[in-house]
Amino acid sequence: MVEFQRYKLSNGLTVILHQDKTTPMVVVNTLYDVGARDENEQKTGFAHLFEHLMFGGSINILEFDKELQKAGGESNAFTSNDITNYYEIIPAQNIETALWLESDRMLSLAFTDKSLEVQRNVVIEEFKQRYLNQPYGDVWLELRPLVYEKHPYKWATIGKDISHIENATMSDVKSFFKKYYNPSNAILCISGNFDKSIIREQVETYFGGIPGGLKPARINPQEPKQEEFKCKSIDRDVPANAFYYAFKMGPRKSSDYYLGDIMSDAVGKDSSSILNIALKKELELVTEISAFITGSLDDGLFIISGKLSEGISFDELDKQFWIELDTIKQTGVDAEKLIGIKNKISTAKAFQEQGLLNRSINLSFFELLGDANGINEEPLIYQKIETNDLIVFAKNTFVKTNCSLLKVCNNA
Amino acid sequence: MLDRNTAPATQKIQKINFVEPQVLWINDSVKLLWMKDVPNETSRIDLYFNAGLRQDRNVIVSLCSSLLLSGTKQKSSTQIHEQIDQLGAYFDIGLSHEGLLISIFALKKNLLKAFCLIFDSIQDATFPDKEIAEKVTEKRERFKISSAKVGFTAQRKFQEKIFFNTPYDELTQISDFDNISKKEIVDFHDKWIKKGLYKIAVVGSIDSKELETIRFRCQSNCITSPITYFKDFCNSPGAFHVEKKSAVQSAIRVGKTLFNKTHDDFFDFSILNTILGDYFGSRLMKNIREDKGYTYGIGSAIAETGGSGYFIIGSEVGTKHREASLNEIKKEIELLNSLSIGKSELELVKNYLLGQMLKAADGPYAMMDLFLSVDAYSLDMEFYNRYIERIHQIQSDELKSISKKHLQWDSMSIVSAG
Repeated sequence: MVEFQRYKLSNGLTVILHQDKTTPMVVVNTLYDVGARDENEQKTGFAHLFEHLMFGGSINILEFDKELQKAGGESNAFTSNDITNYYEIIPAQNIETALWLESDRMLSLAFTDKSLEVQRNVVIEEFKQRYLNQPYGDVWLELRPLVYEKHPYKWATIGKDISHIENATMSDVKSFFKKYYNPSNAILCISGNFDKSIIREQVETYFGGIPGGLKPARINPQEPKQEEFKCKSIDRDVPANAFYYAFKMGPRKSSDYYLGDIMSDAVGKDSSSILNIALKKELELVTEISAFITGSLDDGLFIISGKLSEGISFDELDKQFWIELDTIKQTGVDAEKLIGIKNKISTAKAFQEQGLLNRSINLSFFELLGDANGINEEPLIYQKIETNDLIVFAKNTFVKTNCSLLKVCNNA
Repeated sequence: MLDRNTAPATQKIQKINFVEPQVLWINDSVKLLWMKDVPNETSRIDLYFNAGLRQDRNVIVSLCSSLLLSGTKQKSSTQIHEQIDQLGAYFDIGLSHEGLLISIFALKKNLLKAFCLIFDSIQDATFPDKEIAEKVTEKRERFKISSAKVGFTAQRKFQEKIFFNTPYDELTQISDFDNISKKEIVDFHDKWIKKGLYKIAVVGSIDSKELETIRFRCQSNCITSPITYFKDFCNSPGAFHVEKKSAVQSAIRVGKTLFNKTHDDFFDFSILNTILGDYFGSRLMKNIREDKGYTYGIGSAIAETGGSGYFIIGSEVGTKHREASLNEIKKEIELLNSLSIGKSELELVKNYLLGQMLKAADGPYAMMDLFLSVDAYSLDMEFYNRYIERIHQIQSDELKSISKKHLQWDSMSIVSAG
């Protein structure tokens, strides 16, 4: 059970306090309700580029990292299609440094040209390192627009194209900050060994004076229901032919998320999973196969991907692939396997919650979903899932007209 | 009124309380370590085998380690994995030149069962032909994918230069996967897994009777005399480039033979390494990422081996910035050799290191990992107290002389690929 307190400042900032007296550290986690899905289609990659700029100095503080390191702390951040999340990990006695730094960059950034220019280059190198300079690196750049036609999930967090990052201007940066980086669009979670008697006062001192703003409205185009099977082949210099079957499923807040999570473990988590046994071990059609869900806040994806064995065609795999999915639609996941998966989820959860940072990020994320207490309620949701629920999920999800297939063909 | 221009007062970390695990001996050479105060239901057991890559051909060692749970006379691979799932347990296999580490993670109520299941399956492994064939195919495919990455290519070249003419210098070739006999795997297993267990570490508030069972079960699989490690490494200096026309980034690896925690210069060099490239505000990051924008990241590290160690700088940079990046790396090293580190930078690094030390000692798992990383060199937790003391005391001129002593550009192996 993760204990916490929650309240709102008058400027709209949501604050979550989670005390843990067994650690010598404090984590200050700030989640902004903005991600790549909030970008303009002509200016993609912006939420992520902006995350980099948040380390380039704020209105009253020249060098963010330097001040934090001087206090023995460290920080990092990540951006997804849905959110942008920042954190500082710092010795508990120096908590004020983290509050000072995080609140100052919520107040306003320094907006220097040098920072923008350098971070544009850094992000371009990140684009190359992650997406271009390795085999299969650009798969998500291809898969997203194949699956999503209207919804902004059709571009990746890094952006649609390098040119979008190259063309980012200071006025873009400023308006993005103004719109999304205000207290009413943020969740602040402080966890660790803080002093309960003064923490609220400390938060008020640093964050209370930041002017409130409007929480920006989100009007994303709805993705129309997929009516037909979609397939695309791309030729690349890769060692083996690879396949990515993407099925649409419900959003993070729907029961689909939990069903999909369990189902992906059952069909493709490890060597004892259904598709590993059938397609790899028994039929030797693939050299690897795995399944996972994207867990997106809007309609997400159930992905089954892998690599073909030498001499096996995409069609040979495809035929058998649908036979296996049909079996799952009839029989679901057997009871014993389901218990194993639930047990593994419980273990994973216990290990995750051991870490202060994980607890902090999860509390913030669940609060974004509607209630930080979700962190404590989730285990029960998993435990209640039964074979029949999984059959219903499979019947709704593993349908050909709900599927997009990306084939990466070895062109050598 | 809040003054946002002035940083809040901070407190320096003076002392950290390190907790040692309980030590039980299985025989004269093998310890069982136990960190029993864990405030939650989680538990972990680490099994260290003297079954590293150096003991045989890379491909045989690597196949053996990944086939340890592939079946016994009584159980198939699938059955073993399903039973592990039933216990909600996870395992992780890590292989290095000098050892094989198998870690088991489970809720403490299941730890003993998971241990017995996994340990027995490992010891009784029969290596079915079909499992071997499947794993060979899988590994060959992975090797092909890795080979397409500039980071992998540069790392291989770097290893070749660092481990030149030592038992660690074998580089796996794609043809190695065509030339495998089951007998080699079985022989390796007999020699290094059945008789190669050399350390066990348990974290978790399990029952002491359960710990006794673990101890008893391990007894017959332990080494009986101490392990010796190779000491006489000497890297071949110079610049080496592997061309890859289609690459949009080049991988860089720069480094040289160094030492491990047992060396007198270790503390000083660790602090120097942090300044150069081991934190976000390091000189390499500040210059090559935050000023020039040549890379997404650059870092340096000390990699230790049982008898020695090496220093390494690594990065992936835009291909057109390759030469410029190497020049800047050289410049930063020469700067450390010639100019004293300023007072505020040194103060910052000291505080940062102390904060990181506090974080590294947060909780029983972290504490066990700290202990394991000194116990590997026959040191104890006092090492960290001495380190903290050294961080407080060290002066700029001492760092300059340690840099001059160990960071001469001419002594480096400088590798790039892409």
